[in-house]
Amino acid sequence: MKDYWKTTVIFTFLFSGIAVMYAVMYPTFRETMESLAPSMVKQFAWIPGAEDMSSYVGFLNIEMYQIFWVLFLGMILGFIGASLVSKEIESKTIDLLMSNPVSRKQIIFEKFIGLFPMVLIINIGVILTLVIVTTVINEEINFYYLFLTHLVSIPYFLAILGIGLLISTIINEKMKASVITIAIVIAMFLFESLSQISSDYKSFGLISLKHYYNPYNILKFGNINGTGIIVLLVITIWALIIAMIYFEHKDIKI
Amino acid sequence: MDIIETKDLTKYYGKIKGIENLNFTVKKGEIFGFLGPNGAGKTTTIRTLLGILKPTQGEAYIFGENIEDNIVKIRSKVGYIPGELTLYEHLTGRQFLYYFSSLRNTILPLLDELLQVFEIPLDRKIKSYSRGMKQKLGIIQAFMDDPELVIMDEPTSGLDPLLQQKFYDFLLSEKKKGRTMFFSSHILSEIDKICDRVAIIRDGNLVTVENIETLKSKRGKRIRLKIKDNPARFRGPRDMKILDGWIEFVATGNLDYWMKEISKFTVVDLEISDFSLEDIFIRYYRGGK
Repeated sequence: MKDYWKTTVIFTFLFSGIAVMYAVMYPTFRETMESLAPSMVKQFAWIPGAEDMSSYVGFLNIEMYQIFWVLFLGMILGFIGASLVSKEIESKTIDLLMSNPVSRKQIIFEKFIGLFPMVLIINIGVILTLVIVTTVINEEINFYYLFLTHLVSIPYFLAILGIGLLISTIINEKMKASVITIAIVIAMFLFESLSQISSDYKSFGLISLKHYYNPYNILKFGNINGTGIIVLLVITIWALIIAMIYFEHKDIKI
Repeated sequence: MDIIETKDLTKYYGKIKGIENLNFTVKKGEIFGFLGPNGAGKTTTIRTLLGILKPTQGEAYIFGENIEDNIVKIRSKVGYIPGELTLYEHLTGRQFLYYFSSLRNTILPLLDELLQVFEIPLDRKIKSYSRGMKQKLGIIQAFMDDPELVIMDEPTSGLDPLLQQKFYDFLLSEKKKGRTMFFSSHILSEIDKICDRVAIIRDGNLVTVENIETLKSKRGKRIRLKIKDNPARFRGPRDMKILDGWIEFVATGNLDYWMKEISKFTVVDLEISDFSLEDIFIRYYRGGK
């Protein structure tokens, strides 16, 4: 959707910028990282791959992927997903939109599909940026693993968008829907982090989307969690189906 | 075939009544007025007909198709001007029309004509439009792809008197082409001007469906006058009232008779006004709650 063109460009530049920043910072931080006492490193045990933070890949993982990619971009996409339908209802443009020969299911589906380009473009932008900057600063990263890391992040983001969209069809106020979705993304991040720290909470992670997407394993070893991808896709599809069914029967009051 | 037909169409918002047991038909080629005060259920009816709200009970057919089964097909032949018109403010007028034509119909036979009648700054963002410009854009999008039926929810709000007149003329010329129009309003005088038949709605119930001419003939003029004589000497109709020296009554039927009666006195002051919507309720439909 053209509406998101500007947003897409902004976030592509923003996340590419963050990637460049951390990549360029790495050489200066390497020694600091290496000299960190093991007990310090243990403080970061809630982040997958924290033990490896002195390597280039590990550093990017902990700074860039685990926080900015998984959490912040997740929150941003959750916000956007949650505003898809609620925005139209709140601003009352839904009346005119629905006077067109489009079914309610179609509205939901096309809103969702409309965000594909954004997710793709941000991913491609960051991949290209990292390939270039890594070459320039003469560090090493497996470009194929880098590509896979981003490829597998797509189902993760689609699942967040799906959940956001579902909430968007249920709650008519854009802000409320967005805040709830962001809260869910943060809560899932915390659950998964908690499950990393202590085996007592291991099962907590299972309800977190983040549990099914671990950038470190892919970026470092090329290990893809196939079940995880399937879980994420199933969640996406179910969120969409429920959103469609709910919206199909919804009275749109303005 | 009737263009719109409702059978006991009912919509409740939880326990709150929106509309109840509406039965009316709109015939091909007519301008059908839908008259009622604010909050009477006009918008609820329209939004239910368009499938934006789900009916609680009863059914409705547009072009003979059930609105609950075939709403997408129906919408492809219906133009709509919402009561609370909100457009995508970040788009320009041109982008907006382009977007809607991509959703509806890429062939827009009426667009050029509409743009001539209702001029708007197409290349400016809708955000910067005045209320009247937005309303004009709403009119253009509703008619541009030549739909068989246009449903309008108080479409003249926001238009200045000059534009209102232009719009009425436009509707009448569209009627000549055979287009069917459903026109909701709370203003009696505009319904008078353009509609063939009118349904009057109050508190969610249909009060009556009548020909405009019948409705007009039922209506009288409200006359207030002051005479030099003792007002009690004026022999008005039974419901004549005297208030602060003003004689007040409603003249139905033979206006000439009353003018002659009045002329027998020395008139100090005189006011003649049209019936209001409330007057109609009170006088003919015992709705004066």
